[in-house]
Amino acid sequence: MLQIDDLTVRYRTPGGEIEALSSISVNVEKGATLALVGESGSGKSTVALAAMGLLPHEATIPAGRIAFDGNDIMTMPAEARRQLRGSRMALVFQDPFSVLNPSLRIGEQVGEGLVYHRDFSTERAFARAIELLDEVGIVNPEAVAKAYPHELSGGMRQRALIAGALASEPDLLILDEPTTALDVTIEAQILELLEQLRIRRGLTMLFISHNLGVVRRIADQVAVLYAGQIVEQGATEDILHRPVHPYAKGLLAAIPRLGEKKQRLAAIPGRLPDLRKPPVGCRFAGRCPFATPDSAAPQILRDLGDRKVRCTNAEHLRDTPWPHLGDGAPGEAFTAPVDSAPIVVAQKLSKSFTLSSGFSFKGWRPAATVKRIKPVDDISVEIAPGEVLGLVGESGSGKTTLGRTILRLVEPESGTIRIAGETVSDKPQRALEAMRRTAQIVFQNPDSSLNPRKTVGELLGRPIERFGLAPKADIPARVRSLLDLVRLPAHYADRYAHQMSGGEKQRVGIARALATEPRFIVCDEPVSALDVSVQAAIVNLLADLRDRLGVAYLFISHDISVVAHLADRVAVMHLGKIVEIGAADEIMNAPQHPYTIKLLSAVPRVDGPARQTGHLAAQPD
Amino acid sequence: MSVEQTVETAAVEAAPRRPLPMQLKVGLAITGTIVILGLLAPWIAPYPWDTISMKTRFVAPNTTFWFGTDEYGRDVLSRTLMGTRLSLAMGVSATLVSLAVGVPMGLAAGYFRGWVDELLMRAADVLMAIPAIMLGLLVLAVTPPTLWKTSLAVGFVYIPPIARLARSVTLTLANEEFIQAAKARAEKTSYILFREILPNAWPPLIVEASLRVTYAILLGSALSFLGLGAQPPSSDWGLMIAEARSFIDRAPWIALTPGFAMCLLVIGVNLLGDGARERLDPRLKTRMGKS
Repeated sequence: MLQIDDLTVRYRTPGGEIEALSSISVNVEKGATLALVGESGSGKSTVALAAMGLLPHEATIPAGRIAFDGNDIMTMPAEARRQLRGSRMALVFQDPFSVLNPSLRIGEQVGEGLVYHRDFSTERAFARAIELLDEVGIVNPEAVAKAYPHELSGGMRQRALIAGALASEPDLLILDEPTTALDVTIEAQILELLEQLRIRRGLTMLFISHNLGVVRRIADQVAVLYAGQIVEQGATEDILHRPVHPYAKGLLAAIPRLGEKKQRLAAIPGRLPDLRKPPVGCRFAGRCPFATPDSAAPQILRDLGDRKVRCTNAEHLRDTPWPHLGDGAPGEAFTAPVDSAPIVVAQKLSKSFTLSSGFSFKGWRPAATVKRIKPVDDISVEIAPGEVLGLVGESGSGKTTLGRTILRLVEPESGTIRIAGETVSDKPQRALEAMRRTAQIVFQNPDSSLNPRKTVGELLGRPIERFGLAPKADIPARVRSLLDLVRLPAHYADRYAHQMSGGEKQRVGIARALATEPRFIVCDEPVSALDVSVQAAIVNLLADLRDRLGVAYLFISHDISVVAHLADRVAVMHLGKIVEIGAADEIMNAPQHPYTIKLLSAVPRVDGPARQTGHLAAQPD
Repeated sequence: MSVEQTVETAAVEAAPRRPLPMQLKVGLAITGTIVILGLLAPWIAPYPWDTISMKTRFVAPNTTFWFGTDEYGRDVLSRTLMGTRLSLAMGVSATLVSLAVGVPMGLAAGYFRGWVDELLMRAADVLMAIPAIMLGLLVLAVTPPTLWKTSLAVGFVYIPPIARLARSVTLTLANEEFIQAAKARAEKTSYILFREILPNAWPPLIVEASLRVTYAILLGSALSFLGLGAQPPSSDWGLMIAEARSFIDRAPWIALTPGFAMCLLVIGVNLLGDGARERLDPRLKTRMGKS
């Protein structure tokens, strides 16, 4: 159905030309689902854009052929291509929040393609849109078709987008990270829906994702991309259970798995090669623990049994597992003194926000409607010194607000907070000096958490200067030791945020929190913005720091498997309340609350029983 | 998404050595030349700028007087060169006035929100509601006009746009996590405003300020033209054009020379500002790679 041969794509950038894809060949059979897996920078989205003919202006295609149903679409006139794009192939984008036009009704957007490609009248298209919305499992499709995008939840919007893509009865559906922006329970529903549609309509799908668990649920075939090349390609179960290429091995080893608590995760050291001058030999060699002198020679994608692997050593490596390269030697696990007083005590904490104060008509006169949400609703938690309390919940459950309320970055409405024995909830902000030193925070987004105009040295030196922790002359030395603590070389002190990778930035963020020698750190989704291989290294680092320094964490994440790996205890949050709290193992193995059970069963896993389709009814949200 | 990421990884190493943008080079060349000429004017001007000579009235441009002479026989080139200093001083000092008031105003409004925002921005709105020339007239009409009062008045007129820009930049920056991080170490508000937010607000402010320099030069000249700025026999460009207006049919060079000079300076400073933005904004290059 879709055949891509030898496709190379280059991008012109101010820093020079980079090769985003190098001789990619994939073939998607009719009715099959091929998944492209890779981390950021691997070029997976470029494949989707190239197939749709939507590459940006900076892109050039020096070589390659893309054939759709036997017709070469690259030699096609632009108009014919546009016709094809709207009718026989369709694309679903990653972010359902920005793709829909906010000023058009859902029904108009879903039916839009029909008006242009099938000469439907606007009314007929709208009627068809309602049918399509019904097909993708939206309850009350008539009302939803008349709604505007902002009135819909993320899951509903993604359903609407899929409905729009299906409107023109396409044969090929390209999905670019369709569930990445969604919560796990919604993700499970969308995957379920895609599976049903595939069976019902015989769709061919090209599915792009960084999440191997998701891929396992949906795809027959997997191609693993690294630095613009396919490094391994074959049947999904084969590759996920017995990866051969070292990168695939590393990627799988880096994923924290539910119910399998190890001391440290396996991490892939290093970073992507510079794609302006891609290495002649194996592109992964610099990060590969199995690299041999042969790796310097150009690698070709060759057949090995049923799969294709780009590695000269593939035969030898077939059964070798990824070595357990912990990010540093795991030390003695920290054990808190049993009788010590808790470092953080929060009692009956509440916080509510007024969302919108729009107005509606009551009879003939307008009346203000106030919508209030309560992201923190009468919550009490305690954290012992050196303990990791994991906080799990879906978006909007109030996890971030709870973390910030404990630190008084958000003012609580009621309740008491005690940190290190000091009651901090009734003091004015300027009297919080001691607490600000004891309790720190690590943020989610490494791009936003570091001031782009300051060097790492300034960023790390400021807290030390602010609290007078060292004489001015000693600050550079303290900065160096902080960098050493998070395993960054000392010369990073001169770098700016934009000169570092995401993982490095997050390390600096952690170092900044550690600069005041705190006893408690709120980690607010510290790994959510990172790739799997980097995520593993950061999680290991946090675990090491806990063991060495005895810092307690409130570890907030939407990813239960990461939380389960790191935390001693886990709290599950739902609509502003903690619905279940207990030892991590107990929660993972024997969850009590129905919401916890739902959350756990929705997590896409890379192991466990094969293909878990059909176990979660596609419930409308 | 991966496109952007790829660009980022590539940009990591490339960051320090980026070529200067073309606009910046051209802008620097034009503005630099004008500034140097202005500074050296007393030494390089071929004739005294204020000596009246009735024998050489209305001489058309020739080899002796490259740009001709005016109605009092003064060399137009010498006067224009001397006028450069006045125009530059006017533009720069007016802009400094508006920055000094507008930036703290905008920072406070954007950071505190609520009633502080309302109070400051409504005050700016009131200021904006009065046409620039009117405001200048108002200030200058009640007191005898001098050059420094003109630049103060012009600076005053340009407070609202600077304050608005500073506010809008602050609004976005105030939501960044590094501001939360600063709060989490109990930093003083003044530190957050001037050390965390301001350095990030500079690039758009510099661009805006450079545009304001050119507007200020034009407005200052306009006020001088109306007789409310520099006073004769001063050789302010606006004033020169005003005086030459009556002879525009007989001796167009008297008005055209300072006119061209002003034009060139405005273009030069604008290019400079545009180039500076491209150069200063660390995030612009990822955006360029993406779109």
